[in-house]
Amino acid sequence: MNRTTTYDMKDIGAADMESVIVLKDVCKGRRQHMVGPLNWSLPQGCITALVGENGTGKSTLLHMLLRTLYPDRGEISWFGQTVEGEMPLELRQQIAYVSEKPSREEDRMTARKAAQFRSQWYPGWDQQQFEQMLQAFDVPADALLSKISKGQRQKFELAAAIAAQPRLLLLDEPSSGLDPFAWKDMIVMLNQAMEQGDLTILITTHRMEEVQRLADYVVLMHEGQICGMQEKDELYQQWKEVWINPGQDVQALQWLRECPGIIEWDGKPDGSVRIITSDAQTLQQTAEESGIITQVHGLEWEELLSCWVKDHHLKTGKGAHS
Amino acid sequence: MRIPVQINENSAEPLYRQVENQLRALIISGQLEEGTLLPSIREFASDLKCSVITVRRVYQDMENEGLLRTRQGTGTFVTRVEQETRTRMGEENIRQLMSETINRSYSLGWNRQQLEQLFQEILDTRE
Repeated sequence: MNRTTTYDMKDIGAADMESVIVLKDVCKGRRQHMVGPLNWSLPQGCITALVGENGTGKSTLLHMLLRTLYPDRGEISWFGQTVEGEMPLELRQQIAYVSEKPSREEDRMTARKAAQFRSQWYPGWDQQQFEQMLQAFDVPADALLSKISKGQRQKFELAAAIAAQPRLLLLDEPSSGLDPFAWKDMIVMLNQAMEQGDLTILITTHRMEEVQRLADYVVLMHEGQICGMQEKDELYQQWKEVWINPGQDVQALQWLRECPGIIEWDGKPDGSVRIITSDAQTLQQTAEESGIITQVHGLEWEELLSCWVKDHHLKTGKGAHS
Repeated sequence: MRIPVQINENSAEPLYRQVENQLRALIISGQLEEGTLLPSIREFASDLKCSVITVRRVYQDMENEGLLRTRQGTGTFVTRVEQETRTRMGEENIRQLMSETINRSYSLGWNRQQLEQLFQEILDTRE
């Protein structure tokens, strides 16, 4: 298999899948920096996690997808449709959104009342499902939304978003500040929602546990750019940490250094070397041929993301940050 | 139902193959009996912390091998495994495990003689 080709295809979007959203050369100037040009498509029927540092453009992207922000340049299409000006109602009805902070407008309403209000906007609203979710996840239906706990409130928001039967659910750091119990409920709710039908979820998060539990694809943003999109499990195995101890074998060391896929080479004072590579197999074989013992380790998610950024920099010729 | 499959993140083996090998072993050893309903793709993926793409691939591959069957609307089941298949796959499984052990041993500087001796020794202590 040709690895480079696969990677390139993943960069643009999942090749064999339908896309819910397609971005072409989308740019948006923000106060401090520029977001874009973004070229990317969101695969249908999957959960895609959008990750990256704060202030890197994730929320800007989400707001452009909601059409609460318009791009300066470029084109966005939703379900194959492009939009001039405001988003038409029949398109907006297919999209639901939950943010980190619920809107204050509904504070003086009960969950039941707020749902009634929202259901008018969504022709597909499933009241039975909504009530079942409130009950299953312990959200009081008749208390004021301002009086219930943060976890309960967020579960209400999710239940209302899911009950609207959207085709696309956008979640902007929905778990920020949630206690572990509410967080677990959220994971169950989202997984259950995915079981039912044709739903696509895009979620921004800083919790790697969430990426592990939910995501099928991972998109990484860095400094206003999309570094790429990868299938989660491929990303998970993309880079490995390899430890070797080449001793005094200068020739072997040279061969090892020339192995493909190495993005980090860290010689330790005791003569051992820690290497991060996307091709651990070749490195291992080369080492074994010279009688050098190797140890291969998987990387933590946080480290993998750093590797991804580094790799992106190497590829785009910006040089590596440390 | 929770399927006892565990992912080894230090292995260079692709995730889908790790899951396939373990699931296959559970079926041919009879630990997962004929007719057992497997979790839905999304559920299993969430348990394993892997993506639905991987689980979908595993289910598809194993359907092609005849070990699983998916009925629309009901789910994915373990099919009946003939004794002959059971024996053949069991052997393949052990062969693979042994090859891995041999590779690992060689990479740690062991030779054939040492390995044979150790193998014999372990077998002897079992008897």
